[in-house]
Amino acid sequence: MLIQLLTDKYPGMRLWLSQRLTAVIMASYVLFFVIMLIVQRPVGYEAWYTFVSPAWFRFATLLFFVCLFSHAWLGVRDVLRDYIFNLNLRNYLQMLVDILLVIYLAWVSVILWNI
Amino acid sequence: MKFSVYRYNPDADKKPYMQDYDIELHEEDHMLLDALIRIKEHDETLSLRKSCREGVCGSDAMNINGKNGLACITKLVDLEEPVVLRPMPGLPVIRDLVVDMTQFFEHYNSVKPYLVNNDPLPETERLQSPEDRAKLDGLYECILCGACTTSCPSFWWNPDKFVGPAGLMQAYRFIADSRDQAEAERLENLEDPYRLYRCHNIMNCVEVCPKKLNPNAAIAKIKDLKIERARERKITKKEIPIKVL
Repeated sequence: MLIQLLTDKYPGMRLWLSQRLTAVIMASYVLFFVIMLIVQRPVGYEAWYTFVSPAWFRFATLLFFVCLFSHAWLGVRDVLRDYIFNLNLRNYLQMLVDILLVIYLAWVSVILWNI
Repeated sequence: MKFSVYRYNPDADKKPYMQDYDIELHEEDHMLLDALIRIKEHDETLSLRKSCREGVCGSDAMNINGKNGLACITKLVDLEEPVVLRPMPGLPVIRDLVVDMTQFFEHYNSVKPYLVNNDPLPETERLQSPEDRAKLDGLYECILCGACTTSCPSFWWNPDKFVGPAGLMQAYRFIADSRDQAEAERLENLEDPYRLYRCHNIMNCVEVCPKKLNPNAAIAKIKDLKIERARERKITKKEIPIKVL
């Protein structure tokens, strides 16, 4: 149901809701991560390896970073639109941000699947 | 008492400047507006708006020591010297402390700040239950002084597109009115990415409102209502074919 609200039909709500949804997912992940840390108390390399090894944990962490980068993309996009009035400069900066975020996401994936 | 006042006369000055005043106040001068009137006795070229002198008309909204407020209800004893007075930010200056509020009122007008009801007029007034009437508390009291809108960075960034806290609170004032029949149109009117959604909860509006209102809460209610109505519309659309069958 919420996905339907993220379509072109609701241009304003789509951006606002996307930021809220990603924020909720990130907050849930952080809470879950802290609880897991308290419960499992990993100390040393072996314990940490066991802690982060399960595939579901890696996917959950990847989802967290996808949300983080989407959230950041939406925020930076607004900031650029508000402050950079030169269209060419704004587009270059936006492209730079896009490339950086894609690189970060690839980097996170490599780290997660090379532990 | 020392004052530093923004002065600008577009016909005579190349650029704005700050003018210092050191004024002997009288015993009966309690509010900032009293002091400004006293300044005008010495320098009648200073321009400012004023009317009711009791925080009801909203004419004398200005930037007082960096914070928007009404001169007539700002106590002199609460102000640090020199009192720095500037026109409200984000709007074109007509002269000195007088700003052009056309943009502000265009946004206000764009939310249709009047009751839309297509039913025939009743013999007396349109009645409301006490509960429905209570929903308008904290909304109808707005005096449209513009202190909130002109202290909002989202308005400074997009003054032509973002309706601003005052306009949005008035939009919600009519959305929340049980006698109004244009809720769907009013919500649709605020759908683009700028008019409503440029509010980033900075909360300056709540901080400066001289009537202690909360435009931010009204804006949040509009956003919630938009989701609620959009979801209801989806459900209704799905149900139509089933009803036909």
